[in-house]
Amino acid sequence: MAAFADLDLRASSDLKALRGMVETAAHLGYSVVAINHVVDFKEKKQEIEKPVVVSELFTTLPIVQGKSRPIKILTRLTIIVTDPSHCNVLRATSSRVRLYDIIAVFPKTEKLFHEHNQYFIILMERNTTNHPWIPGMLLVASFIKCKMIAVLKDFVSIKEVACTHLDVDLVCVTVTEKLPFYFKRPPVNVAIDRGLGFELVYSPAIKDSTIRRYTISNALNLMQICKGKNIIISSAAERPLEIRGPYDVANLGLLFGLSESDAKAAVSINCRAALLHGETRRTAFGIISTVKKPRPSEGDDDSLPACKKAKCEG
Amino acid sequence: MPASAATYERIVYKNFSEYHYMKVCLEFQDHGVGLNVAQFKQLLVSALKDLFGEVGAALPLDVLTYEEKTLSAILRVCSSGVVKLWSSLTLLGSYKGKKCAFRVIQVSPFLLALSGNSRELVLD
Repeated sequence: MAAFADLDLRASSDLKALRGMVETAAHLGYSVVAINHVVDFKEKKQEIEKPVVVSELFTTLPIVQGKSRPIKILTRLTIIVTDPSHCNVLRATSSRVRLYDIIAVFPKTEKLFHEHNQYFIILMERNTTNHPWIPGMLLVASFIKCKMIAVLKDFVSIKEVACTHLDVDLVCVTVTEKLPFYFKRPPVNVAIDRGLGFELVYSPAIKDSTIRRYTISNALNLMQICKGKNIIISSAAERPLEIRGPYDVANLGLLFGLSESDAKAAVSINCRAALLHGETRRTAFGIISTVKKPRPSEGDDDSLPACKKAKCEG
Repeated sequence: MPASAATYERIVYKNFSEYHYMKVCLEFQDHGVGLNVAQFKQLLVSALKDLFGEVGAALPLDVLTYEEKTLSAILRVCSSGVVKLWSSLTLLGSYKGKKCAFRVIQVSPFLLALSGNSRELVLD
């Protein structure tokens, strides 16, 4: 049975509204929802907040209509990037980013969109020794005192020097404005091979008719390039009335140029793929994951002879 | 007497149903909004017109039943137009400035299927 998922419910500070939205989603038939926290680094000093704790929201999760299991709630972070230096937060290992189940990025420029799919961000400390043009660049950059990594990245894109991946699960495609660039097939194919999903949202289209046109035209553009693979359609709903049922959304996929099976997959299978991609991000190559083991109490240690005690503790 | 040759006739139905039937319900954000049948049909046609223009608004559409209290209706549309009607109902956001949403409960090529809804089945 297909488990439908809506991976974008906008988080607001009002818990009651959030609760209403999740209940509506469960009533409509969604088995999985993800509460989305959006971070825009363009504004000054944006901090990534802690995700909403699910146990605070509901004591008993609402049951999905049509099934007997309760709805599953996940947390998701969307980062709006307009500048390559914004991506650095994804590289920081001990940050709040790891608390989220799914991470999405919303690139606003063509270079960021295609590059974060294919090219990589440079690690300045390590790879700068061998290239003759780097010392000159560093000199110039130190005069300008601008964001070093951004400057270096522009040159990197021209030279195609590989470094590290941008570690995300979903790439959001803009729907509220005309796409400022055309999609290029090679980076999109690389992204599909890596398992990234492309996300389209439909709730702005409900509010305004010009946005409807932009949504459909951007979606058709995307379909031409990626042929309908790895597409996710979700609502960016802020109110319970903006969520539509899963089969309605699958029908919208037909409007966007998907085939019937692709359209239904956009609400069910591809969402599950993005979830699993998020889970495997925390593991080593998807095979090994580490779990913190609780320390055994002192009484248990005495009952076992010394040779049988576990060699490493904690 | 020679027996008359048997004649056979084979009938093939390629498309089993000309019409699709939809059971829909209109939900408003604030309660107390009422529509009569004519306004409801006008709303449907304007939703089609917003998304698909004059050609979409000309789609042969019938409201078979309508309940004003619950704002639910059964619609009939020809099978080629079901995708258009369904998507225009999905993308409808407001009626006369009030926020609303269409909830499509069932879609079926057979009217009999709309009489029972397995999703709302309550097992005792």
